[in-house]
Amino acid sequence: MSGSDSLREHLYYGFFGLAMGMVLAFTGLTEYGEMHSLFILQNNRLMLVFGATIGLSMLLFLLFTRGHPHARKAFTKGTIPGSILFGIGWALTGACPSVAPVQLGEGKIAAAATLIGILVGVWAYRRGTAGKFQFDTGVCGEE
Amino acid sequence: MEEYLPWWLSAGALSAITVGFWLVLKRPLGVSGSWARVVMWKSDRAVREAEAPFRDNPALFKDALMEATIEEFGRERVMALLQKKHGIATDDQLEAAARARQGRFASRTPWTAHLTFLVMLAAGGLLSTAVRQDFQLHFDMGEVYTSLFGGGMGTFITLFFGGILVGFGTQMGGGCTSGHALSGVSRLAPASIVATLTFFGTAILVSFAAHFLGGMQ
Repeated sequence: MSGSDSLREHLYYGFFGLAMGMVLAFTGLTEYGEMHSLFILQNNRLMLVFGATIGLSMLLFLLFTRGHPHARKAFTKGTIPGSILFGIGWALTGACPSVAPVQLGEGKIAAAATLIGILVGVWAYRRGTAGKFQFDTGVCGEE
Repeated sequence: MEEYLPWWLSAGALSAITVGFWLVLKRPLGVSGSWARVVMWKSDRAVREAEAPFRDNPALFKDALMEATIEEFGRERVMALLQKKHGIATDDQLEAAARARQGRFASRTPWTAHLTFLVMLAAGGLLSTAVRQDFQLHFDMGEVYTSLFGGGMGTFITLFFGGILVGFGTQMGGGCTSGHALSGVSRLAPASIVATLTFFGTAILVSFAAHFLGGMQ
């Protein structure tokens, strides 16, 4: 990869990170109370946000990416057990992997504990399963 | 109570990010993948060294891959498979398909770009508090969190162990909210639909349990 390609890619990733961080914060997805009320089905606003985001993305993908090859994640032995573990962690922290850094930026010091936990969890999976299981393919952004 | 964006504006912005990311970077948005690349940054060097002979000529890599595949499975079976999957019958069509598949960036994204993404997420959080002019340090996760899991050490310990589950689970499950729920479900990927139903359903069950065990009404 040439130097300017690499610089452009850093800029794109940085731009999307900044935009996403701001949207997550302004949507209230970084507030545990909001996430908890979504999970106990008492937050219509966030339910609409999730539903409409998926619906609108579907429409935009159909409009703008027709004819492009789409790599879709493969179903593996880890899909269901891994998602159960993530679901428990999501309920306990209110944070998916994108939310923890945003919370820290907002001044929520406790999010550092979530962040260190995520690092430990990712490291443990990658180290512990290297060469043992074959179902660690298809993590987002890796295609 | 803080003021949030109206739901339709949040949804518009989030879907613009999801689809915009795909359009600009030719790969689906996925934050758990960024974490994996940052945590495993050392393996980047090994991959780069292995890629070195092909770096200046990505077509060479595809040729080598195809050659190895043909050697392993036999030319006829490979061409039959390509014919069935993509309607490819000749070598020229094969080459055209390989070109079409190549993304905007010929080689793999450097791990530092993923680190940039995660750091800029935090910058986005900081910037949003600057816009609202309400930045302050919090050592707790808010009233609801404290009443469910206890303040102080209770908060930190629960967040730490919850974080481990988030990290481990997203790697094992192959994605998170952004990769499976936003990028995957909207492109109707079956594995992503299963994963999203599973982690949303689990989070709902665990939250109801915590809600009632925590004595909240």
